Amino acid sequence: MNIIVLMKQVPEIEKVRFDYEKGRLDRSSAGAVTNPFDLNALEAAVQIKERAGGSVTAISMGPMQAIEMLRDALARGADKAILLSDERFAGADTLATAYTLATAIKKLGAFDLVICGEKTVDGDTAQVGPEVAEFLGIPHAAYVEEIREINAKWIVVKARMEQSDYILKLSLPALITVTKDINVPRLPTLRDKLKAMRAPITIWTYDDLSQVADQKYFGFEGSPTRVIKVFTPVTGGRRGQMISGSPEEIAAKIVHILRENKILG
Amino acid sequence: MGSECGVLVFAEQENGEIHNVVYELLGKGRELANRLNKMLCAVLLGFGLEEKSRELIYYGADRVYLFDHPSLKNFDVIRYKHNIVKLVNEVKPDIFLIGATRMGRSLAPRIAAALRTGLTADCVDLDLDDEGNLVQIRPAFSGNIMAQIRTRTRPQMATVRYRMMKPLSRNPNRTGEIVRMETEFLENSGIEILDRVSASGVNLSEADIIVAAGRGLKSPEDLKLIEEVANLLGGVVGASRPLVDAGWIGREHQVGFSGNTVKPKVYIAFGISGSPQHLFGMRDSDIIIAVNKDPSASIINFSDYYVIGDLYEIIPPLIRELKRARGVG
Amino acid sequence: MPLHNNALLDVAEEIERIVGERWVITQRDFIESYLKDETPEPIRPKPADNLILVKPSSTSEVSLILKIANEMKIPVFPVGGRTGLVGGSIPTKPGIILSLERMNKIEVDRENLMAVAEAGATLGDLIKAAEDAGLFFPPHPGDEGAQIGGLIATNAGGARAIKYGVIRNYVRGLEVVLPTGDILSLGGKLLKNNTGYDLMQIIIGSEGTLCVITKAVIRLFPKSKYMVTLIIPFNSRSDAMRTVPQILRSGVIPLAIEYVQLKEIMKAAEHLNDNWPVQKGFAQLIIILDGVSQEEVLLACEELSKICESNNAIDIMIAEAPEEQNRILRIRSNIYTALKPDMIDILDVTVPPNSLEKLMDEVDAIAAKYGVYLPTYGHAGDGNLHVHIMKEGMKDMDMADAIKNEIYSAAVKLGGVITGEHGIGKLRFKNLSLVLSEKHMEIMRGIKRVFDPNNILNPREILF
Ligand SMILES: Cc1cc2nc3c(=O)[nH]c(=O)nc-3n(C[C@H](O)[C@H](O)[C@H](O)COP(=O)(O)OP(=O)(O)OC[C@H]3O[C@@H](n4cnc5c(N)ncnc54)[C@H](O)[C@@H]3O)c2cc1C
Ligand SMILES: Cc1cc2nc3c(=O)[nH]c(=O)nc-3n(C[C@H](O)[C@H](O)[C@H](O)COP(=O)(O)OP(=O)(O)OC[C@H]3O[C@@H](n4cnc5c(N)ncnc54)[C@H](O)[C@@H]3O)c2cc1C
Ligand SMILES: Cc1cc2nc3c(=O)[nH]c(=O)nc-3n(C[C@H](O)[C@H](O)[C@H](O)COP(=O)(O)OP(=O)(O)OC[C@H]3O[C@@H](n4cnc5c(N)ncnc54)[C@H](O)[C@@H]3O)c2cc1C
Repeated sequence: MNIIVLMKQVPEIEKVRFDYEKGRLDRSSAGAVTNPFDLNALEAAVQIKERAGGSVTAISMGPMQAIEMLRDALARGADKAILLSDERFAGADTLATAYTLATAIKKLGAFDLVICGEKTVDGDTAQVGPEVAEFLGIPHAAYVEEIREINAKWIVVKARMEQSDYILKLSLPALITVTKDINVPRLPTLRDKLKAMRAPITIWTYDDLSQVADQKYFGFEGSPTRVIKVFTPVTGGRRGQMISGSPEEIAAKIVHILRENKILG
Repeated sequence: MGSECGVLVFAEQENGEIHNVVYELLGKGRELANRLNKMLCAVLLGFGLEEKSRELIYYGADRVYLFDHPSLKNFDVIRYKHNIVKLVNEVKPDIFLIGATRMGRSLAPRIAAALRTGLTADCVDLDLDDEGNLVQIRPAFSGNIMAQIRTRTRPQMATVRYRMMKPLSRNPNRTGEIVRMETEFLENSGIEILDRVSASGVNLSEADIIVAAGRGLKSPEDLKLIEEVANLLGGVVGASRPLVDAGWIGREHQVGFSGNTVKPKVYIAFGISGSPQHLFGMRDSDIIIAVNKDPSASIINFSDYYVIGDLYEIIPPLIRELKRARGVG
Repeated sequence: MPLHNNALLDVAEEIERIVGERWVITQRDFIESYLKDETPEPIRPKPADNLILVKPSSTSEVSLILKIANEMKIPVFPVGGRTGLVGGSIPTKPGIILSLERMNKIEVDRENLMAVAEAGATLGDLIKAAEDAGLFFPPHPGDEGAQIGGLIATNAGGARAIKYGVIRNYVRGLEVVLPTGDILSLGGKLLKNNTGYDLMQIIIGSEGTLCVITKAVIRLFPKSKYMVTLIIPFNSRSDAMRTVPQILRSGVIPLAIEYVQLKEIMKAAEHLNDNWPVQKGFAQLIIILDGVSQEEVLLACEELSKICESNNAIDIMIAEAPEEQNRILRIRSNIYTALKPDMIDILDVTVPPNSLEKLMDEVDAIAAKYGVYLPTYGHAGDGNLHVHIMKEGMKDMDMADAIKNEIYSAAVKLGGVITGEHGIGKLRFKNLSLVLSEKHMEIMRGIKRVFDPNNILNPREILF
């Protein structure tokens, strides 16, 4: 079983400072960590490998510092790690990101399963997984909470939608995106951690991929969406408004507030 | 009114029931289509839904494209994508809106990739600029910032968060056209739905609306009041630790340091004092409404709106008002 | 003399004039949560019936309130976050409950690496304020809802005390109000101070019996650039325990060395609907290490791993991501809460670090003798052991008492004390003579009389 895990390095979200006045974000005090959902994706892959044999390859697209994250992935059980890093990949939206990742997966050759996190904590779109599946022309299941069965031909998963759980059988190769409920990522052993510190990471640049893809779909140029500006929602402190009146008046005012905030239709 | 489709809305359904977010999208879509001077269309896939497609017209659609076929009865992302992509290539809408439900967020990116167009995730607001381009506002960084996004390609696709847009009121006199589409049947999509079961269990950490109670509650039976408010709002019940410790309610309902960390759009706290351990679990809620008899309770300093009063006096009229608002009883 | 309801209501009116009507609470419903702390229910002292709750907003208001109470000889019970485990804040006599929760401002002085915190700010607030300023408050002395006043009044210790010590090591200055209403300012943003008897040190750990703490200057540290948490499972307790003094001698100074047993830590995780990440072995050590770089810390880890392996560690797991480390700490912090429903008492006996294993053997022997389950965990690096006396198998409270006394004796015999962190509160008087001489008690009583001539502050007969 050849399993590919897609992993993204993200800023430590609790430490990013949001300047509510200037509408800017300051990442300087935030370290870089693995997108938490991607640890669940990796754990799922390693568990399948432990059961069914095979190998796990972690792939990330990002700046060179993502090597650190990929080393951590090796310590946690990945067999191989590839970083797609090039200035010309930068500024990618989800479409260009997915295209680049799908190109790398194709270049790798045969695979059975691709596993992604449900979403990232920074871009937060949850789009890359399904888009990669489309570029690869394989079926996918999003929000997978449980892997029930897997063999060389198919995988059975439980995917959680708002109202119902779907039990889906996907023929392989396929892609799944996983939620935090699927497993508890294991901690690496110190020994594996130290060993991984010295492990080589394969790096693919634009030139490595441009032979097998259409370059105009990479990076900023290949991205149809544009972030025009970012601003911070006006929260900061709480409003602290008192609602007063008779119980009936108060009830009416609460309903009005819920309406204003579209909690109620 | 122009004749082309300006805005297309995906009419998500499950079990033949149209998701409420669809009516909200039709509300917003109507406004955008009017400003573009084009038609508002909806696309509905399923089986035996002729009747339901009328509803989409009552809520604002000019035209409904209906794919009615047994293979579309349940959500199969490949079959849905396949037929929708074909439709979009035919009608070429400027804007294509999909609810940011889990179904929508699984389907939309596949369609976007197939069409090689841009997709903006989980929008909370939409507008048009002077040239008629879609301006999309969405939260990112786990809700800490807002981003304004434009799409260079067509259609401009966006998933839109539930409970963000206002639906029009239902008007059965509104007229429109239902276009029955030829479904292209994919024998083998690579996906087989083995079973579909109603999701069970509370999931506080993902709830949008939490109605919580604390020791201000006098007896376990009174939790029914809290439940009723929660049900009327489509939310779930939360609780402070003392109620859990007393065995009045299961531990899965506990909010706080030794319970769940929650981040709903609205958190209503009845008879909760606001201890640091409780606040730890709910301080990131978008809106906090507190009802407490004691003006010195610390939750008041952490709320957006507060009522100094007896929950037993506030809840009954609140239930009445909510029922009225929802048109029940 | 028992306090008359009317007398108390008169006082309430007078105090309302000081703090405003809204901040004097007389209705029992609203006071309910101020009548207990986190002490297990079976041994928790009962609160008095006749009480009012006052929430002042400034030191001068506190002073005026105490003056009135002192004149009328009305007991005053300063309360903090009510996370104490020995009933220390429970108002056992009719009187005034004084909560400083509104006095919760914190100012961080980055240049001097100090925070000036009002007593009502919580530990959680302080940790966050330090972090927002790019600094670090290293110890984690218990629940984050505890208040600065309570932490200082109990000289709290906690998990991360090995490297930098307990709360006492952080307090550089105090502002306190004496029962007479006098305001006293002690110490300051100073690292050295030898001017006269150090009253501040007597007040730290005085459990609200000498004065009300209103403000503190607290030392902060630069943020450690890199931190990891190790979880090391062992098949036997003695393997784990033997490792601890060897680590302490190795030259590597961890922030924390915690001893837990798989059974209890799994229970804590389950209580939180979570999973403990390392489900191996019988006993585990949790070690937190910090330093200026990954290289430095991983080098120290390698050093520790040699020691652990030579003591039959099954594995050494490492958590690097802050989210994973926080999760481990949160589960660890919830062991007590998870066990609490089935618990009679939690002890915090402390012995010289190298005697901890002997103490645990003694505890095992006591458990076997009585045929009961006594789950233990502790701040192993400090020789501080939490032994839980559980309801399971307990015939009556006398038996629980007997077990407690035997554990106390065992600790004292090993050169230890009956409480290392939670304090005496309202529960541990009877056993004080095990550790303190009559002369020691006499001096303590003398000090109490000097500070509080009318015995109004958190009155306890034995101290007066
Ligand atoms: C404020 C802001 C708003 C944005 N809004 C949009 C938008 O609405 N539409 C849009 O198309 N783009 C948007 N982007 C760009 C988008 O964030 C980037 O393209 C990002 O690289 C991938 O998207 P994501 O982080 O949302 O990933 P998600 O789609 O949320 O990620 C899901 C999974 O895909 C995998 N994955 C994602 N990125 C990588 C990677 N680089 N390497 C390996 N695996 C990966 C991981 O398994 C991850 O768990 C936005 C960017 C910003 C800064
Ligand atoms: C280690 C630790 C972990 C903890 N973890 C948690 C946790 O995860 N979650 C949690 O909630 N707590 C937790 N606690 C407990 C916490 O400290 C508080 O005790 C608890 O949150 C109080 O719950 P409460 O607000 O419901 O009760 P109270 O503090 O008693 O407050 C009840 C409130 O109801 C009001 N009231 C009374 N009657 C009425 C009425 N008729 N109408 C309106 N208002 C009324 C009162 O004025 C009062 O403010 C923890 C404590 C510790 C030490
Ligand atoms: C889950 C859990 C874990 C814990 N872990 C630890 C631990 O690791 N180490 C440890 O040492 N303790 C621990 N504790 C015990 C407790 O958290 C500490 O004793 C803490 O310092 C108490 O602070 P508090 O604000 O809650 O004080 P309270 O419980 O409210 O009061 C404690 C004492 O301080 C006095 N006091 C409070 N405020 C003032 C003031 N402003 N002026 C004068 N006197 C005052 C009170 O009168 C009382 O005697 C733990 C408790 C829990 C529930």
